[in-house]
Amino acid sequence: MSLTATYKLSARLFWRDKGMLPASVITPLGLAIGMPALMRDVQADGVTAATQMFVGTLALILSGTAFLNITVALTMRRDQLLLKRLRTTRLTDRQILLGEVANTVTQTVALMIVSAVAVHLLADVPLPRNPVLFAVFAVAGSAVLATLGVAWTAAIPRGELAAPMTLPFFFLAGLASGAMGWIMDLLPSWLHPLLATLPTSAVVDAVRASYGPGTLGSDLTAAAVPALVLAVWAGVALLSIRRWFRWESRRS
Amino acid sequence: MAAIQVNHLSKSYGGFQAVNDISFEVEAGTVFALLGRNGAGKTTTMELLTGFQKPDAGSVRVLGLDPFKDRSRVRGNVGIMVQEAGFFPDLTAGQTVGIWRDFTPAARPASEALELAGLTAKAKTKVRQLSGGEKRRLDLALALLGEPDVLFLDEPTTGMDPEARRNIWKVVRDLAAGGTTVLLTTHYLEEAQQLATNLAIMDRGEIVLGGDMAETLAARVGQVSFELPSVSHAGELPLPATVRGRLAVVKAADPDLAAQTLLGWASERGLRLRGLEVRTASLEDLFLELARNDEMSQTNAPARSDHGTRSDRPARSGGAGA
Repeated sequence: MSLTATYKLSARLFWRDKGMLPASVITPLGLAIGMPALMRDVQADGVTAATQMFVGTLALILSGTAFLNITVALTMRRDQLLLKRLRTTRLTDRQILLGEVANTVTQTVALMIVSAVAVHLLADVPLPRNPVLFAVFAVAGSAVLATLGVAWTAAIPRGELAAPMTLPFFFLAGLASGAMGWIMDLLPSWLHPLLATLPTSAVVDAVRASYGPGTLGSDLTAAAVPALVLAVWAGVALLSIRRWFRWESRRS
Repeated sequence: MAAIQVNHLSKSYGGFQAVNDISFEVEAGTVFALLGRNGAGKTTTMELLTGFQKPDAGSVRVLGLDPFKDRSRVRGNVGIMVQEAGFFPDLTAGQTVGIWRDFTPAARPASEALELAGLTAKAKTKVRQLSGGEKRRLDLALALLGEPDVLFLDEPTTGMDPEARRNIWKVVRDLAAGGTTVLLTTHYLEEAQQLATNLAIMDRGEIVLGGDMAETLAARVGQVSFELPSVSHAGELPLPATVRGRLAVVKAADPDLAAQTLLGWASERGLRLRGLEVRTASLEDLFLELARNDEMSQTNAPARSDHGTRSDRPARSGGAGA
């Protein structure tokens, strides 16, 4: 009951936070739909380019709607002593954070599905060949990015620094996944394997397999490394939360 | 039976000893006031009692449970009005209470909680538009939602107008009469005197005085003050008095009896005692007396450490019997 209650509250606040909607919904969704639609029209092999671009822009939804949004929301709620207020109730710490994460996963996955349908209609991007693989990594990736966002709040001293301290990851994730076009090709080659270990890159790699040709066996093979990468990031996030998460601002 | 038990509780932040070895008990169904100046350690004590902080030493039991380790279980029977905690500013007071009901098993109806806190008329007002006093009342409405057995009120009426404050006093009295145990901190000494049956006064993390409110005040002297008639001088008065300008002040254990004696003396001489005021001992007097003693002890022992001066205080007790 209580987890449902925190989930409902978090969802209500997500859509009411007009200050955050441009960063958490409008920009990621606009890029995830707009960029592939643009590619469809300007590239010779339009549909292939649009598909490549769309899968890459999923990293922007993951880093904007999941990571950035939960980091900013939780840091502000910590500073405004709203987390403390929630802790005066019967809710456990786990229920409070799980409610936030579960809502963030819902919104992020919903935006990924909306954008997939939108680019299918607007840019002829096909629907995933293996929707289960798409769905599994959409949910797992959103959960890991949201959990990492919870952990990242510990590094942020004040609410107003939450967005500037998180936005670089938004651009880095987009760059690494190809959502920024071909800039990736201009970067030194030794950076590529590092960027491939980002959690957003892992999701994009697995989702790319769900769009390309293949069989169940090849999909499982393609998913193995991304799953491992996500599991490592999840472990890092959970350990960090356990060790460093703060419910109130630092007393200074 | 004690609803709250505090034994040798200590907490420090860095090098600052916020709470230093305090002990007290609060009997079920009573109102207990925790008093002290700013920085005395009241709020830290409250944070320890409500399980927000872990004690460095000592123990706390609320309804027999450790509020830090068993926080979720304790919360089921406890209402907390914290001194500083935010609200979601874009929700209305009614929506806030509605959401909190989802977190509270067997919650009161939202309308009843708002009514108790005197906020019915503000149910549809956004929290950002509420005054400071109204936000305190919303805080109280949330604390009362679960019909708690123990209620923690940290500065409950700060920012309220006198009428609202008296309404809240009535709510607290009614709750206590119904068996709720209340522990409150307040800066308003009148509030503590009106509501509490027991008290503890804290200073620099320690309890410097504590016990039954009535007994504590009965052990203090009251005073009678009046304008000394121009034809008289202090030596003629039937009771010892100090005179400043024309204002005579007589200290007495029973100020009513002293006033009668003085009025009888004046009547025999055909005099009037203008501006006559009779004051029984108040918590404010007691508070000021403790502050004066503290200043004196510091002046007399300037080279000693903070802890060294503490032993000079009157009526110091390690614990406040509840």
